[in-house]
Amino acid sequence: MLIELEDLTKTYGAVTALAGLTVAMPGGSVGLLGPNGAGKTTMIRGLLGLIRLDSGRGRVLGMDVERQALEIRQATGFVPEDECLFPNVTGVQFVAYAGELVGMPPRDALRRAHEMLDYVGLDEARYRRVESYSTGMKQRLKIAAGIVHDPKLLILDEPTNGMDPAGRSEILALCRDLARAKGMNLLISSHLLPDVEAVCEYVVVLGRGRLLARGKIADLKRPHDREYELRVRGDHDAFARVLARRGVESSPIEDRLLVALPAGADAATLWEAAEASSEQIRMLRPRRSTLEEVFLRAVGGAG
Amino acid sequence: MPILDQGYQHWDGKLAGRGLRWLAITRQGVKAQFKNRWMVSTLVGALAPALALAGFLVLWGLFEQQATILEPILFLFRDLPQEIRDGPKAFRATFWTLAFALFFQVQTFFAFLLVMLVGPDLISQDLRFNALPLYLSRPLRRVDYFLGKFGVIATFLVAIMLAPALLAYLIGLAFSLDPSVLRDTWRVLAASAAFSAVAAASMGLLMLAMSSLSRNSRFVTAMWVALWLLGGAAVDAARQTPARAWAPLASYSDDLASVREALFDHDAHWAHLSDVFSRGRDAVRGAAGFGGPRRTGLFGIPIGPPRGAAPPDAPRPPMPPDFEELDDDAPPGWPWSAGVLAGLAAGSVLVLSTRVRSLDRLK
Repeated sequence: MLIELEDLTKTYGAVTALAGLTVAMPGGSVGLLGPNGAGKTTMIRGLLGLIRLDSGRGRVLGMDVERQALEIRQATGFVPEDECLFPNVTGVQFVAYAGELVGMPPRDALRRAHEMLDYVGLDEARYRRVESYSTGMKQRLKIAAGIVHDPKLLILDEPTNGMDPAGRSEILALCRDLARAKGMNLLISSHLLPDVEAVCEYVVVLGRGRLLARGKIADLKRPHDREYELRVRGDHDAFARVLARRGVESSPIEDRLLVALPAGADAATLWEAAEASSEQIRMLRPRRSTLEEVFLRAVGGAG
Repeated sequence: MPILDQGYQHWDGKLAGRGLRWLAITRQGVKAQFKNRWMVSTLVGALAPALALAGFLVLWGLFEQQATILEPILFLFRDLPQEIRDGPKAFRATFWTLAFALFFQVQTFFAFLLVMLVGPDLISQDLRFNALPLYLSRPLRRVDYFLGKFGVIATFLVAIMLAPALLAYLIGLAFSLDPSVLRDTWRVLAASAAFSAVAAASMGLLMLAMSSLSRNSRFVTAMWVALWLLGGAAVDAARQTPARAWAPLASYSDDLASVREALFDHDAHWAHLSDVFSRGRDAVRGAAGFGGPRRTGLFGIPIGPPRGAAPPDAPRPPMPPDFEELDDDAPPGWPWSAGVLAGLAAGSVLVLSTRVRSLDRLK
């Protein structure tokens, strides 16, 4: 397992950030979802040993979060959400300095910094002072600084916050490449479901410091047995009335109908209705839950 | 160019040990300071007293050997008491000690300037740019962060205090051509190292604490200047109060000076030299028979009490019968000054641990 947490509890005064959180996350790319105040950032800080936990145990990459915090941080890259910079340095100095702080020899750190800046696409801008960078450039810079020492696990806290669509798409492509082509384990904390869906294979949903749902995204978005999406050649409303007469509920979604079969019925009912009304079915597929539905169901269930 | 054109390569190089991770912070901090022209000018200027010290030690070494090369400038030594001219080696420790003490007195001023130029940004900028999460999310402890920042100040102070003193000592050693120099002057070297350590620790901790108090480095600079200037003003103001004897403790520079003089045993050496010069003056006065004698001196610079000043054993004016002499103006001893410096250092550590917090309490 990439991360194993057992009964993790952390309180800040009267506020409980983590309430007995127990979860295990496999290797690969993991999305950490949850509304504001769900405990995502606290969990990440707990994983890195940056905060003192009230109780519970945890292991990251097989290392104990209490006793081996420095070893965990050595093997991990962290891209924080907040705007934070080493001041008065150029981009390449920033990344090289990040490497030196991890223990890389200065020459290796500088060479590696150039490679990472090539990788994230910061070209000539690397010779400019980082204070002049745009939000997207700062984010790429932070990612370059996070991966300069080739960590086994990269933790990104809201990596696309405040970015324009093009920049966001580039960051997500970068994360996808790291996870799928470069074999790096990723933990992405985000409240943007499409971002998590675009990069991650596994998702963990937190709420009020507890685990609400977890699993492979493909499994969570399972097909429904008696719910289908269909598109017909003719009028959707007319076909909906035909289905209603056969006890099939339907509702229009964009250019198609979402239909729910009654108990005991199967897809043949739909073909029969089409034949009876001389309608052509152009598309028919079992409905899958969206990640948003999974999230809302989990959060709603907790509330 | 679209991103990802360049491939990502894995890296499996050797990492430095964790114990010296703070050196990266110091290295980066020192490098960054050399962009400041004022700092570079001050650093170069601070080396001038070291040249003067080395020059003095070279001259003294040649004087001890009565080197012929000194003949053109022998007039510089003619005002020295005969006792010194006859046996300069017996006064080696005294002259070396006073020279080094004077050097460190001058360097304390340069240290004030350098710390003022180097220190204010060290932590205040990290607070302004929210850089602490970047440091603390790496395999660094808070103490590594402090050590790294402290190392920047310590590096510059060592560069203008201990390093030139050590170099001057070695030069003096080389020109004395006498192995007994080590026996006579090791205490000077030890005092130089000790005072450099005290100055670096005290100024470094104080400046770091001040730097952590504000996100604006100008305020930090103002605080540092105020510490030095207001201390002197407070001493002047306190001279009018019954607690005037304790007033020097309020001045940071006086406290440093008190510790410096104690480490070099400055007063004892100065008293020894004064005795010798007094005896020399008496001898000159006796030989002259009339008129006022010339003041004794070195290199033409008068040394010892000024002409006309009452000698230490001169008769004192009559006192009222009920006059009771109080020695309440005697300054407190160096342990008090050392205590003040230690207290300031402890306070600085407290401020640092409060202001530079772990991520437990950061946003």
